[in-house]
Amino acid sequence: MWRLNKVHHKASKQGDSLEELRLKRREHEKALRQARRDRQLVSKRLLLNEDEDQPEPTMDTNTAEQDMVTLFHNLQHSGPEREAHLKALSKALRDPSAQLTFIKKENSMHLLVSLLTGSNATCRLQAVRCLHELSHSPHNNVAPACLPATPYLLTYLSGQSTKFTELCLYTLGNLFPDSDVVKDKLVAQGIIPALANCIENQRHNLAVVEAVGFTLSQLLQVKDAAEKIIPTVLASSIPSHLLSVLTPDPKFGLAPAIECAWCLHYLTCSIEDNRVLLAHRAMLQCSSLLVSLGGAVASGNKEEGMELLIFPLLRCVGNLLSFCPVEDLTTQVGDHHIVAALCALLEAYLQTQPALARESAWVLNNLTAYSSAFCSALLTLNLVPGLIQLLPFSQGINTMILRVLANIAHNRKEFCVQLANLGLLSALCATLKMADQEMVTLSMDVLFMLVVSGPQVAEEFVRHGGLSVLEATQYNSEGEIRQRATYLLKTLEENISCS
Amino acid sequence: MLQPDLLRLQTEGPVLVKSCAENGPTGSTQERRQREAEAGEPFTFTPQLIRLHRDHELFEDGDVHRHMYLQDLYITEADDDKPALSVSEFACHISGCSAVFSTLDEYEHHYNSLHRHVCCSCRRSLPSARLLDIHIQEWHDSLFTILAQRQDMYQCLVDGCGQKFRTSKHRKDHLIRIHKYPPDFRFDKNKKDGGRETRRQQQKDSAMEAADDVCESEGVCEVMCDVPSNQPEHGESMETHVSEEEADRTFKSALTEEDADLSAVAHDTRNTSTDPPKPRYSYRVPPTVCFGHGSVRGFRGRRGRRK
Repeated sequence: MWRLNKVHHKASKQGDSLEELRLKRREHEKALRQARRDRQLVSKRLLLNEDEDQPEPTMDTNTAEQDMVTLFHNLQHSGPEREAHLKALSKALRDPSAQLTFIKKENSMHLLVSLLTGSNATCRLQAVRCLHELSHSPHNNVAPACLPATPYLLTYLSGQSTKFTELCLYTLGNLFPDSDVVKDKLVAQGIIPALANCIENQRHNLAVVEAVGFTLSQLLQVKDAAEKIIPTVLASSIPSHLLSVLTPDPKFGLAPAIECAWCLHYLTCSIEDNRVLLAHRAMLQCSSLLVSLGGAVASGNKEEGMELLIFPLLRCVGNLLSFCPVEDLTTQVGDHHIVAALCALLEAYLQTQPALARESAWVLNNLTAYSSAFCSALLTLNLVPGLIQLLPFSQGINTMILRVLANIAHNRKEFCVQLANLGLLSALCATLKMADQEMVTLSMDVLFMLVVSGPQVAEEFVRHGGLSVLEATQYNSEGEIRQRATYLLKTLEENISCS
Repeated sequence: MLQPDLLRLQTEGPVLVKSCAENGPTGSTQERRQREAEAGEPFTFTPQLIRLHRDHELFEDGDVHRHMYLQDLYITEADDDKPALSVSEFACHISGCSAVFSTLDEYEHHYNSLHRHVCCSCRRSLPSARLLDIHIQEWHDSLFTILAQRQDMYQCLVDGCGQKFRTSKHRKDHLIRIHKYPPDFRFDKNKKDGGRETRRQQQKDSAMEAADDVCESEGVCEVMCDVPSNQPEHGESMETHVSEEEADRTFKSALTEEDADLSAVAHDTRNTSTDPPKPRYSYRVPPTVCFGHGSVRGFRGRRGRRK
């Protein structure tokens, strides 16, 4: 994965202590979190030059601006040094102030476009490099200035030069978030069919596939994507191409699959009707991949960056499940090993990515909600004890897992007995005492299902000291919980005296 | 086949698809246990498909992770300071008590010390079931009062001793002399004193139904408690109430103390009681279950005599 490696090198080369790096990273993470809460989470990507391995500005602002002005001046006269000037210009345009100054200069974009479309291939490449630097600008008035270039960038998507196509794609992808005008224009200019063709013709060129995936993911995240963009995308050949690239190539790495998976996630989670994707067997594909990833993780092969692929796959399956009728479940999901994979992912990522563990539990909930087959699979594959052991963990993990166990109990009385035999009763005696009232309420509901499933379960609960726990719960500050406790005690009394 | 109706999607909170149990496929209906909510059953769980919209908060961490990667800020697991996985806390939910604990043991200790053996009539908390029984007998049983005039009714508080005494003073002397209870331990609380003291104390634990009258009958209700000197001074009667902070302190030091090697009575060093609170809650404790009658005994046969 070329991007991951680069960051790793960056950490060691710069001489930043690990602690400083972590601090910076934490700051940045906080900013991203806030951006997401404001629904403003956008990112741009910078494709580095071959001679670079760090995305750092190489000169200070004043020099950059000076250089840019000089170079621009020089470029207006043609000559053999044009290529060199252009290359130097692209370096200067790394600087945000230089970017602003450039677009304010009269005819600057015009010149760039003419070089972009001229007969000199090297100049074209350098020109697109300049545009790429501009597209990465933190100032959002730069993107609209690049509009004149966009039809050409689109046209070049059907070209054959890998590096050139990549640059075009990333440039376009960077331009989307900044301006509705740009986005609307590009959609009108046919970016969706262009992307479809590109991914189809270049599907063996994984670097280009990755770039298409990125650009598409940017497009799919715009605010009105659900109404304006997604229906068109779904009607095109893009979904099937995305699915065909999902399985990562061992040599190239996870990056293309990651991009395509996130595209699929944006497609499934933005709209309610997922018929099209189900018809494309998206759920089958995603769940098979999860099974192999889960298997890899379970056998200790946790590849770096794997979670970047697992997140979107989980989400696709989770949301597609909410749309899939239960009788189609087995055909759409495949065999029941998906539950084993999900449990493996839960355990493997519990400490390092608790959110991933939580999302795995969510998928398990959707699998078990109405399906006896999947409930039964969890029991048959002996996965329940592992789930019970996860009940102490908060941040939504234990509530989701308890829902899964509740689904199983709700499904069949026989499952209740099995759950009781696996230690759920004593676990519930503990969860009933938790601070989280949602856990307490859910625990009572599960407990009720268990004790009414049979006298032996009721008796075992009493043996575990359950009565005193319930009596205490009768004095809970929440009325709904008190009600449940009282009712449960009454039920137990009836069950035990009858036996 | 009918698709389940989709509820209006919200971006916050779990988005729930209506459960399709009603119009579910017939094939699995036979398999699934049909649990229609019967009238009066307060349990509301039903399995539900949860659909999460793009902006749902559950997706926040993963999205941030993704964008960190896009912005070249991805860090390998080895370098990363791992996000804290948190464990649920435990809390005492008894109305009025807001204690929170990080381990189950702490919770259990708190609960057993403060809430377990509570007299239904006067809301006092006793350290053990036996002492609760003795308390009830001596303080709330008029038959006891009558019998005590003619025979030895005051039991020695040390479990297994078996001796009985005509008055509480005799018993106290016996406890000091025979069982070597510390002489500066203040036993001589008859109920009237105890009542005054409890009235002065803070109101606590209003979960149980209030009893307006303080016990009137004679006799002293006490328990041995080897209170270490570093604990805050409070009335040594076991019903004495402590403030929450004091309670925490004693609670914590109680955890580190060794058990006194006196009787079982002396194990719990916590002395707390609950005031007869002003009734703040309108619900009634069902008469069949009451801590005062000994909670664990509630099911094994009810004592009819106090009703």
